[in-house]
Amino acid sequence: MAGDDTVSAVIGEIEAGLPLEELVAHAMEALRSERFMCYAVSQSDDFVADELCFVPQGDRCEILSIRANGWQRHHGDHRRSLVEILNNLAAEVACGKLRILDETELQQETRAGRQLLRFAIDDSASLAMARDAVDAVLQESAIDDVTRQRTILCISEAVTNTLLHGGGQGSMTLRRLDDRLRVVVADQGAGMNFLNWIDPPTKKGQASMGYGFKIILDYLDAVGLRTGQTGTTLLLDRKTD
Amino acid sequence: MLQTTIAPGPAPTVFLAGEMDLDCADTLREAVAEAARGAQTVVLDFADVKFIDSSGTGIFVRLSLDMKSQGTPLVARNLSPAVKGVFDMLRVRELVGDEVFPD
Repeated sequence: MAGDDTVSAVIGEIEAGLPLEELVAHAMEALRSERFMCYAVSQSDDFVADELCFVPQGDRCEILSIRANGWQRHHGDHRRSLVEILNNLAAEVACGKLRILDETELQQETRAGRQLLRFAIDDSASLAMARDAVDAVLQESAIDDVTRQRTILCISEAVTNTLLHGGGQGSMTLRRLDDRLRVVVADQGAGMNFLNWIDPPTKKGQASMGYGFKIILDYLDAVGLRTGQTGTTLLLDRKTD
Repeated sequence: MLQTTIAPGPAPTVFLAGEMDLDCADTLREAVAEAARGAQTVVLDFADVKFIDSSGTGIFVRLSLDMKSQGTPLVARNLSPAVKGVFDMLRVRELVGDEVFPD
């Protein structure tokens, strides 16, 4: 929601039936109090969501409509529950680590700094290539081994997401900004559908545990996300100073 | 890339080396299937695994649960620091059971 009381969709479309006036009122309350606010929705026919989160961001308020359709972790199921995944996302937006980017912000952020390297992601061999490229750049910085290894792990998770959920093809670009390394992983897939993150494992046992994005958010300094029907772009930042 | 070496015996051991990511499923499953013939349990030795991500972890978890249900449970030994860090973060012990990690 922008400062002029308008509501626009950054991810997906604004669904019919969403009570916009009520959303604006909650968003204004969050902006006034400068606090992250979250509401559980008990009546399924009141909202098209199970949970609504309002995150003040300067002069606007991010609204996360979490629709989990009652999904819970099944007994003995090793995958994360959808509720857990979505609540984790909401919390990361609230604390400023995850930024949901609009198209203008995406264009600015993906051009920031100086390009070091760019290559295509097109099969699982790209995973090792991506890890090696980031490792080589970070070896020249002052960051410690554990942080370097965690960063490499995050890049592997992002490239894996492209291969599994982003149409199987994309690109990775390394950019040097003043105080950080930025890795941009982009694809032209159908966009992130968080419901897919709890898909059953494939015949090969490649379980999609829903943990990849959690690792990225836990271990990196900042993450930017733009996703829609024409693809997904992730900006993965590691401070190097 | 993941490499495997099998040491036969009453409790055969599959020594794992290299990287465990999206690509390791076939290699790991084939090695464990070969080691499991006639065995009551299969030991996986992670000492030389230099890298593992959530896909590699998911493949291990799935395989561990499958082998347990088939009556030939896996045992994981000598977790390298890289593996231990990711397993701890993803709470793998809770997912597959304490008995998989006798160390």
